[in-house]
Amino acid sequence: MEAQIQPLWYKDAIIYQLHVRTFCDSNNDGIGDFHGLLQKLDYLQDLEINTIWLLPFFPSPLRDDGYDIADYNSVHPSYGTLEDFKAFLSAAHSRGIRIIIEMVLNHTSDQHPWFKEARSSQDNPKRDWYVWSDTDTRYAGVRIIFIDTEMSNWTWDPISKAYYWHRFFYHQPDLNWDNPAVFEAMWEVMKFWLDMGVDGFRLDAVPYLVEREGTSCENLPETHAVIREIRKRLDTEYPGRLLLAEANQWPADVSAYFGNGDEFHMAFHFPLMPRMFMAVQLEDRKPIVEILEQTPQIPENCQWCIFLRNHDELTLEMVTDIERDYMYDEYAKDKTMRLNLGIRRRLAPMMDNDRRRIQLLNALLMSMPGTPIIYYGDEIGMGDNIYLGDRNGVRTPMQWNGGWNAGFSGADPERLYSPIISNPVYGYQAINVESQKRSAHSLLSWMKRVIEVRKSTPVFSRGTMEFLRPSNHRVLAYIRKYENEKLLLVNNLSSTAQAVELDLHDYKGHILIEMAGKNLFPKIGDLPYLLTLGPYQSFWFRLRRI
Amino acid sequence: MADETFLADDFLRQLMSVGEVDLLVGIPTHNCEKNIGDTVATIEKAFQEKFARERVVIVGVDGGSTDNTCEALLNSHATGAANSRGITSLRTIHRIVTKYDSVPVPGNALRTVLAAADLLRAKACAILSPNTENVTPAWIENLIEPVYRKSLDFVAPVYSRHKYDGLLARILLYPMTRAAFGGQLFELQSDEFAFSGRLASHCLNQEVWHNEAVRDAPQTWMAITALCKDFKYGQSFLGPKLRPVGGPAPDIVTVVRQVVGALFWCLENESAAWMNKATERPTQFAANGHHWLEGADQVNPTRGWEMFRSGIGELTPVLQSIVTAGTLSEIERTATLDAPSFNISHELWVKAVYEFAASYHWDVLSRDHVVQALVPLYRGKTSSYLIRHQDSSFEQIDADSEVLCREFEKQRPYLIERWKVKS
Repeated sequence: MEAQIQPLWYKDAIIYQLHVRTFCDSNNDGIGDFHGLLQKLDYLQDLEINTIWLLPFFPSPLRDDGYDIADYNSVHPSYGTLEDFKAFLSAAHSRGIRIIIEMVLNHTSDQHPWFKEARSSQDNPKRDWYVWSDTDTRYAGVRIIFIDTEMSNWTWDPISKAYYWHRFFYHQPDLNWDNPAVFEAMWEVMKFWLDMGVDGFRLDAVPYLVEREGTSCENLPETHAVIREIRKRLDTEYPGRLLLAEANQWPADVSAYFGNGDEFHMAFHFPLMPRMFMAVQLEDRKPIVEILEQTPQIPENCQWCIFLRNHDELTLEMVTDIERDYMYDEYAKDKTMRLNLGIRRRLAPMMDNDRRRIQLLNALLMSMPGTPIIYYGDEIGMGDNIYLGDRNGVRTPMQWNGGWNAGFSGADPERLYSPIISNPVYGYQAINVESQKRSAHSLLSWMKRVIEVRKSTPVFSRGTMEFLRPSNHRVLAYIRKYENEKLLLVNNLSSTAQAVELDLHDYKGHILIEMAGKNLFPKIGDLPYLLTLGPYQSFWFRLRRI
Repeated sequence: MADETFLADDFLRQLMSVGEVDLLVGIPTHNCEKNIGDTVATIEKAFQEKFARERVVIVGVDGGSTDNTCEALLNSHATGAANSRGITSLRTIHRIVTKYDSVPVPGNALRTVLAAADLLRAKACAILSPNTENVTPAWIENLIEPVYRKSLDFVAPVYSRHKYDGLLARILLYPMTRAAFGGQLFELQSDEFAFSGRLASHCLNQEVWHNEAVRDAPQTWMAITALCKDFKYGQSFLGPKLRPVGGPAPDIVTVVRQVVGALFWCLENESAAWMNKATERPTQFAANGHHWLEGADQVNPTRGWEMFRSGIGELTPVLQSIVTAGTLSEIERTATLDAPSFNISHELWVKAVYEFAASYHWDVLSRDHVVQALVPLYRGKTSSYLIRHQDSSFEQIDADSEVLCREFEKQRPYLIERWKVKS
């Protein structure tokens, strides 16, 4: 595998996030599967992505969309078999596509054999694999994450007559990471998949692994020690494989998960995401500039992961109250759109299906420091169904064409795991891959081009970033540099045309080459560089001195 | 816009960068490097706490500062504005600055702010003085909010006053404008006030900006414009107002010349509006509060009384041209009274003021001389007030003020008569 000789491959990755259930159903049972996913690898290769992040596909009661795992070493029968997964993995690798899978370290399903044993009696050897208490007052004050459904982080177990600790749903008991046996068991699970050839893990709910009285039970030193030990073993035994952290925290707190380059390779930049939406709605670059300026430097071998939307609600935990209220009022006027502290909508509906705004946000995603993640369907502007429960409204079947079940499945529509989006605006007959592939001007074609441009230079994935500060606050402009290469990125965040004067005196004598069309723009001289941008327009320039 | 060219190119470029705004606060500045940072910080705090979602700009208009006022306005830090994560406001809070003149000219400063408001399509604007030491975020909210959210076009402040404070407003400006224009705005010459984009555009487009009265007291003209035209106006309580300790005491001659000159000029300019309109228009109190402050220092009325007597003596030839013989005779008789029994009655005061206004209208003398000649009489009326209200309660002063207002209204026909026919 190439990964072994490209240790920093994740910096150059363009990640496509999907759930196997949602993508393609090969056996007409109404549920996507690995065989179907394998059939669609050519599409993903054509899109120019080079990494797939798979959401949980393990056996599970599916009470939390697979994050409640009942067996770590197998594949949920609805999605196929281990052999199907191996075939998919091999086919992906043969196309140069790496595979990252989910690894839920923090908790299991209450249907996992470990928990069944643990609750069977207080003397069971697995008892100490979970966190138990005679009272529900331990770790008082620790916040509840799923505030819409959970009243406490403790749930009474009538079988063993004690409370068990859970940071998420009550049916997801937290593992006890103070127990070395838990560590060894989970490492064996990781080895199982690493030996099969997966390229990395997205570790779920990382900050919550270890609990200590009198603390928030988040981001504790003991949790970092666990991660360091996993990383150490990974580097030793599986060099070139990836650990990606899910830590919905402020940048200063998340950056600790990079350690000294000895914990995670990558971590999501959660606070940036809502601020990109905020900036476009406010028509003001301030939220983006402010959060990135507060983002600490990270070790050279580490990278931020940035995204617009994903399978969860658009989380608003890492914003101020004023910002959250604003986001709700602007993007989730209908309270049905709100879930926990977030908004359960897809990108295109949030942008009112305005192609220019969708492209602007993707242009920001593709040009800012970090590895971008595209959530499946967003490359064609798929809609959502806010009337489905929980976060299922953003997990509807992929829309491949305008035919039977959108080309997702040959099953009867009533049998599908989820209704297909069918309204006249976002429905599969209006929004689908096949029709967009036929148009050079479709969103899909634009996405392909922008990914191609991003991949044409390592500056996007590895370069530094320096904000320019034109007096026009509606324009977000920055310089990206890597080795001898320099890029100028200019984005109009507003709905109206804007003129902007850029202070480029450090680059006097350079010419600007617009990267999509390779067109030349005037040379930078002594005066501020004047650009005019249409509504929501982005310019990507290569700066060259010839 | 009436005239776009008076704005500097650099200022226009700054305005272009700011773009459309919801709220604008203008600060006329002159050598206030030490205070301006606090003023800006207070405004930004108000924006963050009370108008977090609005597009906002702070506009400094400088009249020839020789210190670093402009730099301080642009670069001062808003202390304590960020939360524990370093997140400040939702939006960019813009600060822009222009130098409109080499000396402070209030009319030019306001005109520049109005032009900025017009170009930026501001919905609500406020003017603040950097020399007022105790501006709070609540002031800004109380001034702007009635304009922005209650659709008023002009909001005048109401301050808590000691009983000897604000006498020009109490005994002349307020009762006379109330009688003439039918509207009730107590503070017509305040350094702080708010207005709508609609009123800003209207005022900007008036061909008045080279008039001395508007150049010297533009806020008085703007307030009266709001009273006369089809604008909604109100008052908002701000609390006590402190001036910088050790600052120069206002020169009463200058103040009377500027403010009363503006009032008389507005009577002239808006005569068609007020001569045919006697009905009272209701005034909205957008934010109420207690308007009296305890603990006023005792003021000796003797000096004012003496200056009244000497002034009347010196200006008799001038006064003969301005007031009627009967009025002058009554004034001269009053000047003979000793302090304990000295009193310029409300009836005499109102009659004299109306005769001054009519003489201003008929150009019996240089208009500036007419207004200046009122100063001794104003000093006399002020002394009367001080003598009369040394031991009065606030309620008694309020009652007496209302009697004075009624006197101005009662004699309104006399003003119209004098206005129509030169005697």
